[in-house]
Amino acid sequence: MHGVRPSGVMTKDPEHSRIERILAGEQHLYADMVDKYKSYAYTIAQKILQNRPEAEEASQDAFIKAYHHLKGFNFQSKFSTWLYRIVFNTAISYKRKNRQQFQSIENTVIEYQGEAEGMLEKNDKKRFLHLALAKLNDADRAALTLFYLDEFSLEEIAEITGMQANTAKVRIHRARQRLADELKNILNQEALTL
Amino acid sequence: MKKVSQSIDDTLLDYLDGNLNAADKSKVEQSLRNNKDWQNRLEELRMVSIVMNETKLSQPSKNFTQLVMGKLDQYPAQHHFPIWKGIFLLMVILLAVGIATVLVSSGAFDNTTTSIDLNQVYLSKKFINEPLPAFHFSGKLIVNIIIILNLGLAWILLDRTILKPFFQRRMQGQH
Repeated sequence: MHGVRPSGVMTKDPEHSRIERILAGEQHLYADMVDKYKSYAYTIAQKILQNRPEAEEASQDAFIKAYHHLKGFNFQSKFSTWLYRIVFNTAISYKRKNRQQFQSIENTVIEYQGEAEGMLEKNDKKRFLHLALAKLNDADRAALTLFYLDEFSLEEIAEITGMQANTAKVRIHRARQRLADELKNILNQEALTL
Repeated sequence: MKKVSQSIDDTLLDYLDGNLNAADKSKVEQSLRNNKDWQNRLEELRMVSIVMNETKLSQPSKNFTQLVMGKLDQYPAQHHFPIWKGIFLLMVILLAVGIATVLVSSGAFDNTTTSIDLNQVYLSKKFINEPLPAFHFSGKLIVNIIIILNLGLAWILLDRTILKPFFQRRMQGQH
């Protein structure tokens, strides 16, 4: 169920003491944090960039930025939300930089098809989803992914993507509706080609 | 199949997410029993949830952590141009623009002219026999152009050295 998960009363994030130790000079502890958050960070970057090498670079860059701005982290919020916001912003700026080397939706699809060659039948659902998601804008795609990962409250999704909570809810609704329409169109087209 | 309205879509999504109270849920179920369009749309929206729920976390490369840790100390030192320096430079430019504007409006450049006579250029005589025109510029026009360029420079300076760092710091402060 994807209800609005309450963000809850802010309790002390267990990461806070680790951050304090990192700030005190125990740099090696940051490796544990990278290990813990890398999958989500990479997934967010990948949903925005839709390109694995770029997502890898952007998420690494975000971790490095986060480390160097750790002093600026305000201990009132969750470290993960703060980190994913940096990942989101880094991926968005990578996307903007790469707009100069224009990559059309069609090219993205071709890249994906090449990657999944020989597994298309098994991955039809995944392929249709990929095609439909490619039609959404970056922020909506990232927000939708975070929503379905079932790990974040709407307030957290809003904070990561830099929206108001109400706006986030409306945008996720619209994105789901758009995705439903796109999936329907894709399936109709597929049916016509059979 | 008729496309259902936006509000019905929202209701169906809330129904799928389990966000409706018992009374609203019962109304939706009643409508679903009586309306084929609602049923079809619910199935379309449910399909989104089914395929999206299969979305798993993507995994980065195996040496991701080592790569990050290896690059931590290579992070380029940020060139922090202090805001006070930006404000100082901006004030100097605005002062220069102000002085130039006062001088222009008091007529200090009204009688100043300069000209470029192409006939005086040695190469032109060598290759071109026809007389060439001479260009006259008024000092007032040149100073006005310099004032406009300085205003452009002041605007860029304001953006790069004051506004941008200010908003970046404010964003970091919010985290």
